[in-house]
Amino acid sequence: MTKLFFATDIHGSDICWSKFLNAGKFYEADVLILGGDMTGKAVVPFIHQGGKNYRVTLLEQVFDITTDDELQDLVKRVRSRGYYPYMTNADEIAELEKDPERVHQIFGNEVLKVMQQWMDLADKKLDGTDLKVYCCPGNDDMSEVDAIVRSSRRVLLVEGQVTPLDEIHEMIASGWSNRTPWDTHREEDEDQLAARYEAMISKLYDPRNAVFNIHVPPYKSSLDEAPELDKDLRPKMAGQALKPVGSTAVRKAIEAAQPLLGLHGHIHEGRGATRIGRTLCINPGSMYEQGTLLGALVKLGGNKIENYVLTTG
Amino acid sequence: MTNLFVRKATGLVRSWSVFDAFIYALFSINLITLGLYIFSQMYFFEGGMVSALIVSAVFIFFEVIVYAALIAVMPRSGGDYIWQSRILGGAVGFILAVTGWWFILWLWVPLYGDMFRHIVLVPILGVLGLREAALWFAGTQHGAFTSSLLTLAIVSVIVALGMKTYARIQKFSFYGGMLGLLIVIVLLLTGSNAAFRDGLEANATSMFGAQPGVYEATTALGTNAGAITPFSGGPFLAILLLIPYMVFFNLWPNWGATLYGEVRGATDFKRNISGMGWALAGTTVLGIILLFAISRTIGWDFYMQANGAWWNYAWALSTDAPALPFWPYPALLAAFLTTNKLLQFVVVALMSLWWFGWSGTVFLSSTRVIFAAAFDRLLPEKVAEVDERTGTPVYALLMMTLPSIVIAFLYNYNIANFYSLTLCSTLVIAVTFLGTTIAAIILPYKKPDLYNASPIAKYKILGIPLITVAGVIFGSFLVFLLYEWILDPNALYGIGYSINENGYKNGTSIIYMLANYALAALIYFGFKSARKREGIDLDKVHAEIPVE
Repeated sequence: MTKLFFATDIHGSDICWSKFLNAGKFYEADVLILGGDMTGKAVVPFIHQGGKNYRVTLLEQVFDITTDDELQDLVKRVRSRGYYPYMTNADEIAELEKDPERVHQIFGNEVLKVMQQWMDLADKKLDGTDLKVYCCPGNDDMSEVDAIVRSSRRVLLVEGQVTPLDEIHEMIASGWSNRTPWDTHREEDEDQLAARYEAMISKLYDPRNAVFNIHVPPYKSSLDEAPELDKDLRPKMAGQALKPVGSTAVRKAIEAAQPLLGLHGHIHEGRGATRIGRTLCINPGSMYEQGTLLGALVKLGGNKIENYVLTTG
Repeated sequence: MTNLFVRKATGLVRSWSVFDAFIYALFSINLITLGLYIFSQMYFFEGGMVSALIVSAVFIFFEVIVYAALIAVMPRSGGDYIWQSRILGGAVGFILAVTGWWFILWLWVPLYGDMFRHIVLVPILGVLGLREAALWFAGTQHGAFTSSLLTLAIVSVIVALGMKTYARIQKFSFYGGMLGLLIVIVLLLTGSNAAFRDGLEANATSMFGAQPGVYEATTALGTNAGAITPFSGGPFLAILLLIPYMVFFNLWPNWGATLYGEVRGATDFKRNISGMGWALAGTTVLGIILLFAISRTIGWDFYMQANGAWWNYAWALSTDAPALPFWPYPALLAAFLTTNKLLQFVVVALMSLWWFGWSGTVFLSSTRVIFAAAFDRLLPEKVAEVDERTGTPVYALLMMTLPSIVIAFLYNYNIANFYSLTLCSTLVIAVTFLGTTIAAIILPYKKPDLYNASPIAKYKILGIPLITVAGVIFGSFLVFLLYEWILDPNALYGIGYSINENGYKNGTSIIYMLANYALAALIYFGFKSARKREGIDLDKVHAEIPVE
């Protein structure tokens, strides 16, 4: 039977990507599945001060770099947290502050550059193995990411598709989410999500043996509990007040089709597993900034889950 | 100049309110429930109460630094369990987390229940004129056990309501409770000792059926009980000896803060320190003001004597029943300064919010640990199930409530000397904190990449990481507490195996605590072995995947 490893929301972390590629061998898995949100959230300017000197502010701490070794070390540190280092100077920074469109462009370039590096690494590392690797960009991932994933020989883009995992199990996949306060790249209304899922479910040979790899967790599943925010996006009650933010369309789809397994992400603090009817739903959560790859190892059986465990790698 | 560009992405939130964090940490170190309850048991010390309050707060500030630093390095990870599992190993993490955040909470249930009857039920029933019901709760084992059962029912409802609703209840309770405390302090600071004595005589007899001359009788009983603790001062060593009691109340500022935003820096570290630190400082200052107000009008010696009379009888050290037939609750005593029944009711009702705003803490942490252990397959999957209709974690709740009923029964009916275990509730959690503190001390050396990429990497004292320095200071404090509790050289705490020849050798306490750890070890190694047979290697589950 197929043993799959699922991780999600690694948000640009080089360490997490490397660990993901190594997870097949480490956990003896047959299939690797990466849920959405592969791309990072911040660009960190390395401001040239002349010669080999740079000034960098990382996590509100100022680093004055004077050697190549220090520079390499800090670049690695920035990348390990999923941020993108950007070599620049004070004049350009002053221009960028007035030109958000140019910042957006730089962001896009850095994201795509790293995605290409990741796909190159995957092709190199996985050549000569039988491991299958599937990914499905999430709501935080810009659409240009898809073409880069498609260019990989070893990583398969599965958004909107029915993918056979073995002789019994098929997988549907989508990185689209319900509406968020951040107006991200791939989000839409619940009825549109429902139509998106139905288009895939209708093509399944046996929905009850299927895997629903859907980035956003089902509504009120306990996998979707996030701090309640005020209108300024500040956590209410110091983050103590949690509320469900998952998708009702996902929940209805799972309740109706009762697949074997639901694989979700999106809510980093929603780590857990729960059952909706017979369906085991998992959100492994995310600790990408610490370079820790949270995941789920699941052994699929005929009409049942043989076993599963959440991992902290 | 811009030093960071962020884009619109899920989860990028702005900073939370430090004041809100302050409120939740303030409820965790709850002056009215935990504070007054444990102050009342500290009547036989030579060191000053206020001095111990201040000295303990200084040490506990280092706990605030340790926890704020760990949150900054490993946020959204699930707290003690994950920190210890990642740094000290899965077995240590599981055993210390489930004992400190789950099993020992069974013992906290009768303690919460005891505070419920003394702070909520008895004062409200008394002021409403329901004397027999008030006395039944105040002075009988059946009343105490019923209070524990009511506590279980209330906190089960809170768990079912969920964190969003409970956070609102807490905020409402904060403002209501603070208003109540303000009225109490004003009543005490504007009243006189003569007015208090008159009010006590009138109300204790009419409301609770005390015999006339209750003030003098209480003074005599308290003196016989050895009530000597001064308001402040005393030798430093004598002050230190109060602290193993005091921490029952103020060791918990870390319960209120686990939040840390994504792509955020040292500001969030400072916000966590501020939220927890101001709660610690604020509670300490409030405590000093309240104790001063008590001393001024009720009279410090009388307050200690009333406590001595109550607990000497409750602990069966004396057969003389206290002249005051209720626990000497300062808010109720302050309410005796007015003859206005409505104001009396308002005071005790508002002050009861300190209990309601805090009581949910007894199960919320436990359910999280039970869920985390189930996700790690160290408990059956079933225990993490949530009822779809009500959102209640039914099985986790049962794993809390059923053992709690048994422990509450043993405690309230004092079977096998269970009534002596109060401080065990603190000791076992202190051991869990010590595990976390050791993890914090070695973190920069054991996980240098993780630490160096964190927002606190630059905070150093004489070249040593701040987290390590704070950890060594707080860890030493915890070791001192454990030494005093377990070896008890001055025969003061009654829960250890005293090295003092005449000290108390509490077999029940030792056996109970060891049984907690043995049960945790049994579950860990039992499930680990069972999972291995199913093909799941739990050692690998916590092991780091190689990067290269």
